Amino acid sequence: MSSKPGGLRTPLTRVRFLGSAQKGTGEAWMVQVTGIANVLLGLIFVLLMLRLVHMDYNGVRATLGHPIPAILLLAFILSGIVHMEIGMRSIIVDYVSGPARQWALIANVLVSGLLGLACMYATLRISFI
Amino acid sequence: MAPIDAAAVKRRPRPLSPHLEIYRLSITMVMSIVHRITGFGLYVGVLLLAWFLIAASTDAAAFGVFAAFIQSIVGQLVLFGFTWALFHHMLGGIRHFVWDAGYGLDAPMRDRLAWGTLIGSVALTLIVWIVGYAVS
Repeated sequence: MSSKPGGLRTPLTRVRFLGSAQKGTGEAWMVQVTGIANVLLGLIFVLLMLRLVHMDYNGVRATLGHPIPAILLLAFILSGIVHMEIGMRSIIVDYVSGPARQWALIANVLVSGLLGLACMYATLRISFI
Repeated sequence: MAPIDAAAVKRRPRPLSPHLEIYRLSITMVMSIVHRITGFGLYVGVLLLAWFLIAASTDAAAFGVFAAFIQSIVGQLVLFGFTWALFHHMLGGIRHFVWDAGYGLDAPMRDRLAWGTLIGSVALTLIVWIVGYAVS
C-alpha cells in the first residue's frame, strides 16, 4: 500500500474492495475490459479473415500489411492474449491441485506470452519486411 | 480421555457436497460448461493463428504449407470448430455482460439467453462459412 501511516486515509479505505487476496477486483475487471475489446476486435477479425479467403500469398501480405488491419490485428492479439491467460488461470486453479498447479500456472504465462509475442512479431514483420 | 488416533481420523472418508452428476442438466448449466470448453479451445486455436501469421510473414513456400493444411478436410473442420467456438464464447461473454448489468436474471430470460447463445453461435458460424465459400 502506498499510503503512509498517519495519512489522511483511514485504515478502512485502504482495505475496502481489496478482499483477502489484497488485489481486489482487478482481474475480474481486466477480463471484462478485454472481453469488450475482444467482441469488437473479434468481429473485425472475422471480417478481415473473410476478405483473405480468396487471396493468394501476395494478396494476404498486402492486406495484412496495410496499417489499419495490422493495428486492429495487433490490438486483437494483445487483448486476446491477456484474456486467455486469465481464463486459463481460472481453469487451472479449478482443476489442478498439488505441485502440478504451480507448473501449470507458470506454463500458462509462458505459453500465452510466447504465443502473443509470436503473433505480434509476425504481424509486424508482414508490415515492415 | 483416550488419545485420538490421528491416522484413523485421516482414513475416515470425509463427507462431500453434491457435485455435478446429481443435478438434472439445465441449458444454462450446459452453456456455462460449453463457455469454458470453447475458451479452452480458442486458447489452443491461437496456435493456428500463430501458424498463419508466421507463415504469411516468412515466404510463399511456408504460406503454401499452411494454405494446404487449412484447405484440407481436417483443416476445414478445425477452422469450422474455431469459428463456432469464437462465436459461442463471444455470445456467452455478451450474455455475461447482460447479467453483470443486472438484466435477464429471471428464470425464463436466462433460459432464453442460454438458448440464444447456442442458436446464435450456430447461425453466425453458418453465415460466415456460407459467405466464405461464396466469395472464394
